[in-house]
Amino acid sequence: MKINSIGKKIAFYVGIVAVWQILSSANIWPNSVFPSPYDVGQDLWFGAIDGTLWIGIGTSLWRLAAGFTIAAIGGIALGILMARVKTVNETIGSIVLGLQSIPSVAWAPLAIVWFGLTDAGIIFVTVAGALFAVTINTYTGVKSINPDFIAAAQNMGAKGEQLVTKVLIPAAFPYLITGFKQGWAFGWRGVIGAELLFSFLGLGFLLNVGRQLSDVSQVISMMLVIMIIGIVIDGLIFKRLEDKVMARWGLR
Amino acid sequence: MAKLEAQNIVKYFEHDGKPLKALGGVSFTVEDGDFVCLVGPSGCGKSTFLRIAAGLQKPDEGQILLDNRPITKTGPDRIMVFQEGALFPWLKVRDNVEFGLKIAGIPESERREISDRYLDMMQLSKFANSYTYQLSTGMRQRVAIARALVMDPEILLMDEPFAALDAQTRDLLLVEMQMIWQKTKKTIIFVTHSIAESTILGNKVVVFTHRPSTIKKIIPIDHKRPRLVDDEALIPYQKEISALLRPEVKATEETS
Repeated sequence: MKINSIGKKIAFYVGIVAVWQILSSANIWPNSVFPSPYDVGQDLWFGAIDGTLWIGIGTSLWRLAAGFTIAAIGGIALGILMARVKTVNETIGSIVLGLQSIPSVAWAPLAIVWFGLTDAGIIFVTVAGALFAVTINTYTGVKSINPDFIAAAQNMGAKGEQLVTKVLIPAAFPYLITGFKQGWAFGWRGVIGAELLFSFLGLGFLLNVGRQLSDVSQVISMMLVIMIIGIVIDGLIFKRLEDKVMARWGLR
Repeated sequence: MAKLEAQNIVKYFEHDGKPLKALGGVSFTVEDGDFVCLVGPSGCGKSTFLRIAAGLQKPDEGQILLDNRPITKTGPDRIMVFQEGALFPWLKVRDNVEFGLKIAGIPESERREISDRYLDMMQLSKFANSYTYQLSTGMRQRVAIARALVMDPEILLMDEPFAALDAQTRDLLLVEMQMIWQKTKKTIIFVTHSIAESTILGNKVVVFTHRPSTIKKIIPIDHKRPRLVDDEALIPYQKEISALLRPEVKATEETS
């Protein structure tokens, strides 16, 4: 079953590369517009050898990690406050959904004005992208906690910070993970989008350089890297976390 | 000595936007070491009464005194055992049992000693490292009882804890519950919808009327323990309670 599914995946990717190779060797479009898999692979290889690829990946990931951490902490705090304090929900809560609908890159102009062309600006965009997804899911999670859990905990003496850390957060954790998954994906788009617009260094920057140099191989190779990082983060970190939590919470 | 004294407890519910009087002035006294069972027609507010005693809800009128002090908020001197257990799925059995001790800041070695004692009493020792979803419903209620007992509360409040159990498991726990009571000498208030259960467990059965509820009668059950499910000496008590409840259940059905 498992092996079969891996086999299917491999066949699928080999198939894509094969079709791509066939299309590019058919010379329908010039190589500078539609590079072959080999060109793209070569571009990645050179990038890996001269280090620009690693610096790009490292820079973007660092920005993502910083922005995501801030968004996760802030989103959990805001979500819990919204769920537990009526006034917060009636005020801030009413605009969170609206803010969530703003694409993260739309925060970039503000970031430039407020932070200039700095890492802080990129991180700001990332936070803006990820924060509200975490907030909304945390809110939903805390709202769906079995009220008896909270009653039992309070009955046993839990209040304030202990109630939050020992009951609300663990009880809502399956929802928090959903928030993290959405949040990091929005944040990742934010990082790349902001880097495209106003950064040096980072994968978005390298992507933009490729465009400026009309180096389509670099454009495609950077897109591939961005996608692969997405798959890896989702599969290696969040999927595992989710599986673990679902099993532990007895949700499966 | 009066352990707990309910004085004219009145509680309204919101029902279809209108206030509905659930408890219409409930007064009774629980002596130290009593095992009191509350029975009544469904919706009579006996569980609500328990939550008020736990400090999880506030009465609209009246007050409950615990050791002559009015109950104003919830606290670990009155531990509640919930119908569904309300165990925390993210914690192992031992950590569930130790939860309240941890909140109270009791050091780990001492926590361990206390939880070991009650895990053993509830025959849970080999499940200490299991998660709660790995346990049967009956085992889960044992954990819930252990979690309550470790707090060494002044009074144990049990809200239909055996309602969701299969008959055999329940019969077993009914016997064990009596032994726990005799061993720990706790004061217990136990809400149940089962007349048989109330006569097996209680040394007093408090019969509620239909809404707005008051106390119809308090019946002392003087009979040796452990009482078994098929104990024939309990039948007269069960008949009496049944007769008291019949018009109340009927009235409930007519008004709802």
